Amino acid sequence: MGAPVHNLATTIMDSTSKKEISAQRRHKRHRVSNVFFKYYFLFSILALCFVLGLVFIFIGKTALLLFGQISPADFFLSFNWTPEEDAFGAAAFIVNTLSLTALTLLIAVPISVGMAVLNAEIAPKWMTSFIRPILDLLVGIPSIVYGYLGLTVLLPFLRRVSGESLGDGLLAAALVLALMVLPTITRISDDAIVAVPRKYRDAAYALGSTRLQVITRVVLPAASRGVISAVILGMTRAVGETMAVVMVIGNTPQLAKSLFTPTSVLTSNIVMQISNVEYESTWNYALHMMAFLLLLISFVLILIIRILGRKRRDQA
Amino acid sequence: MKVFKKFTVTALTAVIAVTASFAGVAAAADSLKGKITVNGSTALLPLTLQAAKEFQKLHPKVKIAASGKGSVTGPQAVKKGIADIGACDWDASMDVPGFKAFEGQVANKVAVIPFATIVNKNVGVDNLTTEQLKGIYSGKITNWKEVGGSDADIVVITRSFGSGTRVNYQAKALAGGDIVKKEKNYKETGSSGDMKTAVGTTPNAIGYIDLVYVTGGDIKAVKYNGVAASTDNVINGSYKIWAYGYYMTKGQPTGATKEFINYVQSKKFQQGSLKKLKFIPISAMQ
Repeated sequence: MGAPVHNLATTIMDSTSKKEISAQRRHKRHRVSNVFFKYYFLFSILALCFVLGLVFIFIGKTALLLFGQISPADFFLSFNWTPEEDAFGAAAFIVNTLSLTALTLLIAVPISVGMAVLNAEIAPKWMTSFIRPILDLLVGIPSIVYGYLGLTVLLPFLRRVSGESLGDGLLAAALVLALMVLPTITRISDDAIVAVPRKYRDAAYALGSTRLQVITRVVLPAASRGVISAVILGMTRAVGETMAVVMVIGNTPQLAKSLFTPTSVLTSNIVMQISNVEYESTWNYALHMMAFLLLLISFVLILIIRILGRKRRDQA
Repeated sequence: MKVFKKFTVTALTAVIAVTASFAGVAAAADSLKGKITVNGSTALLPLTLQAAKEFQKLHPKVKIAASGKGSVTGPQAVKKGIADIGACDWDASMDVPGFKAFEGQVANKVAVIPFATIVNKNVGVDNLTTEQLKGIYSGKITNWKEVGGSDADIVVITRSFGSGTRVNYQAKALAGGDIVKKEKNYKETGSSGDMKTAVGTTPNAIGYIDLVYVTGGDIKAVKYNGVAASTDNVINGSYKIWAYGYYMTKGQPTGATKEFINYVQSKKFQQGSLKKLKFIPISAMQ
């Protein structure tokens, strides 16, 4: 009689302890996987930082070798870039890059902000839901496609309109770039304008404002930080764009004295010459210094966006 | 999950088995083995790739890795020990305008590359002399009517400094003359493909390119001192704008590298695949 009871008791005990053990195991397994994923995510972000650091170190290291061979003044202030005669003045490229970016924004910003306002404030819903996906598509078009269109469609058109026989230059490049940054600036400003609280508009209307007044005096000022980050984001793309620019700018290392002077900017000059230089030459170091400059410019621009973003959060 | 695992295992086993069987076939073939790295000129890349494909069939134990960039990267990579062969559009063991000689390197001729002066299809001129070309590229001649064409500005399109095509064109077609940049009607391009597009889409443009690229209706080759640009005229000696393509090696080539260069220079390859790729056999010029 005793034996079956005993057996039953053991079975029950066994099953509870088994349950406990399996629960413990599960707990342990979860802990292990949690720890594992923690380190995996940490590793991922560290790997990214590591690569970023390497980019800075390697580009910077080669770039700084330049100043062992020529003085910074020769590089930053001279307009004469003639590698075959050992003249490495990058001032023309720097000025050209700045003027190309300025010209691009001059063309693109008014149009994109106008489009953003239309999208966010004026257009009926069916129209916005049609325009927004189209803009997203435009962001994704590879730059070489824009460049090719510039070469085969825009340049012949500019030649006919201006009477120039070549057409390459700052204007052609700025037009192509403007088309490229347009969707970026529009979409981000659009989001910034939509984010302006409805009560602002209601209050303005209640005070008797017209729609134009609401947009220009209330909504745009309230969204200004977002619009400015949109413009800066477009700017980074314009500064760094290479392939589309190379195809329509003329690639001649000289200062652009007119809109139709064939010329060259930092990016286009690097990509044109980097495959034809010797590794250990002043020429190569000068090209690396130009790349380093681009890196610094885009870094500064992104820093500005971050600071603007923080200020906006603090205000809200 | 389990099914997936099983599948993965099966797939892996299959891959390993296939690789092993291939390795087995390779081991049976011959004794020549090694790894050859070829760097340098994009102009010679199609030739290198074709030769590598054929050579690896004959000697499966030899691995050939080829890549193309600017001409000057060929001899440089050899100098640094990155590559065994540096493909270059000029003889890098001697000084050329802009580039110093690479000491201790041997230039192995592998092909003859003809170049052509090209103009947009709207240009009426069909012959240019050395002096006229020198005038155009130095900026002294700026209108087509000065060389017998209609009254229109000449748009000069050139390759950027350091290009192998430019080195050869300057040396042969311009007899060492300068290419001077201008503020108007002057443009530089980064590759043979860009050059073709630029001349083809710009009315009144002039440029220069490897002869193999002269196809299609947008560009046409002009005669040089009265001689048409054609492989026949290069071979009979009347057309002067051509250059050898070289494989640069550190000292005399040895082992697998030597065998590979021998194969490229062999009559079978030169008269067969090389001709098909529109290069000219080196034997034709000797």
